[in-house]
Amino acid sequence: MLTLETQNLTHRFTPHDIAVNNVNLRVEHGSIYGFLGPNGAGKTTTLRLVLGLLRKQEGSIRVFGDLFEQSRLEVLRNVGSLIESPSLYGHLTARENLVVLQKVYRCAPGRVDEVLALVGLPHTGRKRVSQFSLGMKQRLAIAVALLPQPALLILDEPTNGLDPNGIIEIRELLKHLNQEWNTTILISSHLLAEIERLVTHVGIINKGTIMFQGTLDALRSKQQQSLQVVLDTSNPDLSQQLLHQQNIAATQHDGKLILPSLPKEHLAAINQQLVHHDIKVFEIGIVKNDLESIFIDLVK
Amino acid sequence: MTRSFFNSLQSEWLKTKRSLATWIVLVGAFFTPVIIIVVRIIYHDTLATSYASPTFWATLWRNAWESIAIFLLPMGSILTTSLIAQLEYKNNTWKQLHTLPLSLATIFFSKLAIIVFMLVQFFVLFNVGIYLAALVPYLVVAGVPYPTAPIPSDLFVRETLLFFLDTLPIVGLQYLLSLHYKNFLVSIGTGVILWIAALGSLKWKFGFAVPYTYPIFNYLKSLPDNKIAAPLVSVHVMAVIYFVVFVGVGFWLFVSKREKG
Repeated sequence: MLTLETQNLTHRFTPHDIAVNNVNLRVEHGSIYGFLGPNGAGKTTTLRLVLGLLRKQEGSIRVFGDLFEQSRLEVLRNVGSLIESPSLYGHLTARENLVVLQKVYRCAPGRVDEVLALVGLPHTGRKRVSQFSLGMKQRLAIAVALLPQPALLILDEPTNGLDPNGIIEIRELLKHLNQEWNTTILISSHLLAEIERLVTHVGIINKGTIMFQGTLDALRSKQQQSLQVVLDTSNPDLSQQLLHQQNIAATQHDGKLILPSLPKEHLAAINQQLVHHDIKVFEIGIVKNDLESIFIDLVK
Repeated sequence: MTRSFFNSLQSEWLKTKRSLATWIVLVGAFFTPVIIIVVRIIYHDTLATSYASPTFWATLWRNAWESIAIFLLPMGSILTTSLIAQLEYKNNTWKQLHTLPLSLATIFFSKLAIIVFMLVQFFVLFNVGIYLAALVPYLVVAGVPYPTAPIPSDLFVRETLLFFLDTLPIVGLQYLLSLHYKNFLVSIGTGVILWIAALGSLKWKFGFAVPYTYPIFNYLKSLPDNKIAAPLVSVHVMAVIYFVVFVGVGFWLFVSKREKG
């Protein structure tokens, strides 16, 4: 079952500038969906479209199975969001900021203290938000998003401005919300490493187009497929020739041979053969592409 | 709709807490009464005579409104309306507001209702200030009697209501501009230019067409030898028409925005 689904979502800021191109997001119920892409890839534009902050031009958006434009109020009642920089009233305290929204969401007054405690801001007292550090503002903005106990949480780069401890705390909090309350979370980031330990699903967008979408495991299997073997020998040309005779696609790079991942026995046989042809083998190694390099390859 | 509008009103009212707009209302309402009190205490010699005069309240009313109607009320309305609407731009909170389960009409009209309520708050406080301007010298200066003339409450209520109506076009246009333009200077600058235009058009026979003239016309009409061109139509009716038009256009521009926050 999908909590959020877009079909052929397309948005142009000018006729020749396609910011989002036929995006088909599929965020499964109960998942933590990492929405990845470099700066300017179209992440924020997509999220703003999903929340109705930008007027939809082409395509459709369904949230909780309903078309967004037809059930806007019902949908927004169950969605918490943080888009780009924190949206907070600087002249009010943290508590007052939340009470402003508590009135609209009609949630219990006690919920304000609950979310303040959840994000680690229970004792800011009468300090005005304009005097908060960026990290504190970011935490409060997350508290705002959590206030209505949303079934869907949309967070656009929520860890911006947080120190490493803060990032870990927020990550644990989001995991907890997902596990305890089955909250579906859509979280965007430009760093895979930052959300790799959090997400169950990944969507990678570049230049407005989805390059990959699936589970984190599917992305990892892509990583397995991209493993390569590096071979450093005294005669790369002859080595390459011998490998080609065995139908192994080997390419030269900086005097070394790069070949696809092979079973250990096969590598041992190649080594024996090269030695047999008086070729000295200096190195046989595995080039491990981490998820980050897969991500970079996809967005190149 | 009714409940969400009420909730939105509560939310909007909380946002005005400690805001500059709130201070402008408070300071603006008591500014002239405080000046009158200070002047009366300094020049207390003539107070006994003036307090015994049958026209005491009418004179006090006219003195109190002089600077308010011509300068402080238009400028205060320009500033307060712009500041309330600009709270969202200043704090980057439009996007938060537009992702709340509120219709666009609720967002637009609850914010406008708060501004109108603050205007009412100003008039109530100003009337209290006028009464205090009479009471404080009586309590502080020895030998000054309590005014013998009864308080003309019907005059106070009627004129306050007319000034309220006359200020609505300023609120309407400033609200439209402040919601539509992110740059604070556009709304404030336009407001100041229109106020100057209002001052310059008082002698012009079509001066009533400038929507910022109405509080000034309403004050000057009671003065003998006022040298203004008598408006060809009721400025109060014109004020209401302008307000409805400005609010209508403002709402249309608000809902037609492609980017909301």
